[in-house]
Amino acid sequence: MFERFTKRARTVVVHAQEIARERRSPTIGSEHLLLGLFAVPDGLAATILSRLQVDRADVEADLSRGAPFDAEGLATLGIDLQEVRRQAEETFGPGALDRTQAAQGRWRGGHIPFERDAKKALELGLREAVRLGHGFIGTEHLLLGLLHDGRARDVLVARGVGLDGTRALVEELVRKRQAG
Amino acid sequence: MTDATQVAAAASSRDPAVGLAAVASLRGLLESLEELQVGNARAQGWSWQQIAQALRVSRQAVHKKYRRFGI
Repeated sequence: MFERFTKRARTVVVHAQEIARERRSPTIGSEHLLLGLFAVPDGLAATILSRLQVDRADVEADLSRGAPFDAEGLATLGIDLQEVRRQAEETFGPGALDRTQAAQGRWRGGHIPFERDAKKALELGLREAVRLGHGFIGTEHLLLGLLHDGRARDVLVARGVGLDGTRALVEELVRKRQAG
Repeated sequence: MTDATQVAAAASSRDPAVGLAAVASLRGLLESLEELQVGNARAQGWSWQQIAQALRVSRQAVHKKYRRFGI
């Protein structure tokens, strides 16, 4: 599949892998692909996201909410995270809970595989390219692929970015680029 | 979250998005607490067998999970 990727789309994937590694994520998820789109600012996806007023800082904030621990979610179970953290630090030292590898994401280095939602997004990106009659997979198709399902989609939809509208925008911009 | 009835209502939320997210949060916390305790046990010279017994899992399971952490 990657042989049909444009240079920019490949760069997005490379960035996604680096972002996943920096965050010590065991897998490359759709959220890392989404952040990867912002890392290639001259790509069509980044243009579209900026036109739709979605910026990287907002997306990062959305994604990091609840990480590594979700105080609000735990509170709904009657668990006071602050108290748990305090107890852990009392026994094991300052920052004990947050320093655990479980809190920071587990495996470091080496090859990071794609998570199912990211793999699916790449496949759907290919399908979007075919559907639009484009013979290549660009960053814009990756963005469309991400808008079907998964965490990236949830974040984008919550920010008012939907599949249909974005698809129309991609068509318009690609037509313009070909004309210009 | 001091009101017990309020907590109970949230914990048994019928909204799957709330309930599932809460369970996921709990799992995250559990993983960290387990790691702290396993690390501490190893530092105190506990064998994997002893740790597994206390955690009520198989020795293989706990060893496989934490071996890579170097603890």
